[in-house]
Amino acid sequence: MAEKSRPSTLSVYLYVPNIIGYVRILMNCYAFAICFKDKYLFSLLYFVSFVCDALDGWFARKLNQVSTFGAVLDMVTDRISTACLLVVLSQVYRPGLTFLSLLALDIASHWLQMYSTFLEGKSSHKDVKDSSSWLFKLYYRNRKFMGYCCVSCEVLYIILFLLANNQTENLIEVLLNVSTRNWLYNTLLPLSLGGWAIKQLINIIQMKTAADACILYDIAKKQ
Amino acid sequence: MAKKPRPSTLSVYLYVPNIIGYVRILMNCYAFAICFKNKYLFSLLYFVSFVCDALDGWFARKLNQVSTFGAVLDMVTDRISTACLLVVLSQVYRPGLIFLSLLALDIASHWLQMYSTFLVGKSSHKDVKDSSSWLFKLYYRNRKFMGYCCVSCEVLYIILFLLANNLTENLIEVLSNVSTRNWLYLTLLPLSLVGWAIKQLVNIIQMKTAADACILYDIAKKQ
Repeated sequence: MAEKSRPSTLSVYLYVPNIIGYVRILMNCYAFAICFKDKYLFSLLYFVSFVCDALDGWFARKLNQVSTFGAVLDMVTDRISTACLLVVLSQVYRPGLTFLSLLALDIASHWLQMYSTFLEGKSSHKDVKDSSSWLFKLYYRNRKFMGYCCVSCEVLYIILFLLANNQTENLIEVLLNVSTRNWLYNTLLPLSLGGWAIKQLINIIQMKTAADACILYDIAKKQ
Repeated sequence: MAKKPRPSTLSVYLYVPNIIGYVRILMNCYAFAICFKNKYLFSLLYFVSFVCDALDGWFARKLNQVSTFGAVLDMVTDRISTACLLVVLSQVYRPGLIFLSLLALDIASHWLQMYSTFLVGKSSHKDVKDSSSWLFKLYYRNRKFMGYCCVSCEVLYIILFLLANNLTENLIEVLSNVSTRNWLYLTLLPLSLVGWAIKQLVNIIQMKTAADACILYDIAKKQ
């Protein structure tokens, strides 16, 4: 009886969307290994990995290979790739504390949100029914808006990485001088800054909501 | 009726162990802000924050102020402070990829472990009843051993930070030259290296075990 689960475990590891997940991880490893040698190749690989992130969800539904393991693999890969990109940015820009703080906010908000999602028994942290803030509701009920904000963060970080020429750029200087760059940066940067700002605001609100949920969980448990 | 939980939420935020948690966060923020200006003050603050980590658990039990929020606050603060220390080490040492990889392993293993703990319904990821590896069992059943491994990681990272004089040290060089340093480094370094190695090995095993748990959860749900 216990032997029956064994082949099933391996078969889930070999699901197509999960294999796409492993490819994403290898692509990210290679990308970060060469990020200082070839900025543009790094950005391309990072972008392709981002596209695969959407692809594997599509494959999972198409091939009926949706799995909890796949969802966790996706989540962890996202968190780590964003974290590594922020680490690289903290090395390239002064003050590096800015990106260290963004890393802390990213980890804290996603961790707290996942924890409280589990406590409340929701199936996904993206399903939010009761939330106080209008911005929160807008964010979670409109998948396109949510997508715009998430993609904006990644686009902003990649743009900042591409804009940096030396090893210790002053962040304010680079942002002010972007008008001297080509039109692509000139349009993408403000657009992504807007989405990024909303996402960080959401992250902060999420931390408070999740903390409240932890406390309410204890109260409910006592009753 | 709905108004009653409101004062309770604030009172939990003001629990003594949670206030210690906020102090830990502020201490860490200040420590990382000055880490390059004063290495020894940074190490002292980091160490004090680590001691507070044990203290707030003790206070929580003594004052009957144990809370889920407090546990999550602790966990998130630990993860972020270790992450920031690894980021700093990746800036100071070449190859920086080593510490980036350790950061990825730390995030991935703790994230997967927490996720699977919730799926399997254990109360804390530190309560592991069924686990295949003997090392795994040894690690989780002996709290002192677990403590030694966790403390070793932090001690090793702090020592590596203190040993670095310039901003781009070669990791192998520094480790080989430690015999020329004082006896304190000479004894602490090998001791902490062993505990660190065991902890990283346990992290890797944890990832596999947690991934299996995610798959078995799906299988159990279908039945």
